[in-house]
Amino acid sequence: MKLYDQLMRFVEHELGPIAGKLGTQRHVVALRDGFLVAMPFIIVGSFILIFANPPFSADTTNAFGRAWLDFVAAHRPTIVMPWTMSMGIMSLFITMGVAYSLAKQYQMDPIGAAALSAMSFLLVAAPEKGWALPLNHFAGTGIFTAILAAYFSVELTRILKKYNITIRMPEQVPPAIAASFALLVPVLAIFLTLYPLSLFVQQNFSMLLPEAVMALFKPLVSASNSLPAILGAILISQLLWFAGIHGANIVVGILSPIFLTNIAANAAAYAAGEPVPNLFTQPFWDFYIFIGGAGATIALVILMCFSKSVHLRSVGRMSFFPGLFQINEPVMFGAPVVLNASLFLPFVLAPAFNAIIAYTAVSTGLIDKAIAVTPWTTPALIGAAWGAGWAIKASVLTAILMVLDIIIYYPFFKVYEHQLLDEESANLAAATT
Amino acid sequence: MKKIYLCCSAGMSTSMLAKKIKEAADKRGLDFEVEAVSTAAFDEVIQTADVCLLGPQVKYNLEGFQKKAAELNKKVDVIDSMSYGMMNGEKVLDQALSLMEP
Repeated sequence: MKLYDQLMRFVEHELGPIAGKLGTQRHVVALRDGFLVAMPFIIVGSFILIFANPPFSADTTNAFGRAWLDFVAAHRPTIVMPWTMSMGIMSLFITMGVAYSLAKQYQMDPIGAAALSAMSFLLVAAPEKGWALPLNHFAGTGIFTAILAAYFSVELTRILKKYNITIRMPEQVPPAIAASFALLVPVLAIFLTLYPLSLFVQQNFSMLLPEAVMALFKPLVSASNSLPAILGAILISQLLWFAGIHGANIVVGILSPIFLTNIAANAAAYAAGEPVPNLFTQPFWDFYIFIGGAGATIALVILMCFSKSVHLRSVGRMSFFPGLFQINEPVMFGAPVVLNASLFLPFVLAPAFNAIIAYTAVSTGLIDKAIAVTPWTTPALIGAAWGAGWAIKASVLTAILMVLDIIIYYPFFKVYEHQLLDEESANLAAATT
Repeated sequence: MKKIYLCCSAGMSTSMLAKKIKEAADKRGLDFEVEAVSTAAFDEVIQTADVCLLGPQVKYNLEGFQKKAAELNKKVDVIDSMSYGMMNGEKVLDQALSLMEP
């Protein structure tokens, strides 16, 4: 128990405050908000991509599959176009979303900031060729550049404003007119800073800025696909949640650029008919590791639904439907799981085991890697298949993991149930005497 | 009419509680509107809110939010975690009412 006490003290006094600071830090908040802006485009876009790749082999004899394959073969560019114009240009949405949120937090003009950020991103990521914008870096390889462009353009605008470097108007000019000049200097400042930087990188390294940025972030992105990194992310998220802090909110907020870089590369490979490269994606995290929410609590909720304890049974039944949709606050605070020493071990171990097994199943090719982004509130059994391009095998894996989680939770649940039953019968005895 | 906002990371789990609080208020004959939003929407909703309550899982926002609310002479607090877990609309309504007292 001593180790547990030390761990709790560490979470409460060290990890918790750091997470709190990170969770409210402007740039981190902007990152999270920015990705939320891009999410609907990415989700629907990747959904369409699946339609363009029927889950039938090329020599299928199934009439429906045959017709689908032939239709796609004849109209492929037409079908794929909506994907290109949504998920395929997600970095543009991300840069605007991040800049909008950051500017809003600084109480600056958010729509102006979003437009400026879009311009900055296009300037460095998509230099015009033959009167068209090359789309190479609008998807996965442009994400980090999109974020940096948003941070840079907003901070630059803020600093220029702070030091009063603007076009000054005589006092008689109405404020609205003066405001319309506000963005002129920042636009010029972007041309004078980012454009030379982009030209310099192009000339000296014969690559565009996003390629250079990707080279810098490459080690981080590759490391994310390794089991130790995944387990580390799970551990931090679980410790925070156990202390009652929305750990996933902070951890996923920071992981989301990596998730999207990975899934964009997967989608592009899938669209090109090549092997899908990346394992660590949002569907992997949500639907294999955190089935029913952080801690894979749907297993606990199912056990609670049949508990002899009135308290556990009522919280369990109340938590079942939210849990189906990956929301677990009722069970976290109601059971409670938060700061409940009896449930600490399974709460950390269940997602860790899920990760190890899913990692093995996916990296050996037994289960397909995810190629689509789904809403995180999709029920895990459906979300797993959806993410993997409607591969039923993925749902089977989720189902197996759920059973495993029930087995992991069971002994600890029994101990806790026993405690509660003792309390409940004591209360009942006290009430009747 | 009074307006209560509940705030959590995505406004998902608080939306369940919002319904319960609304029911509790209706039962007591109080004309309340209760809405759940994400923490990203806080700056906007605090303008029209009478009181704003945070989900315990995002309590790390409390300090910053209280500062912003104080400028508008409004109160923000964290929902008691047991009442939150039990989705106890009555108790959270009591908490909101006590915060609205001058």
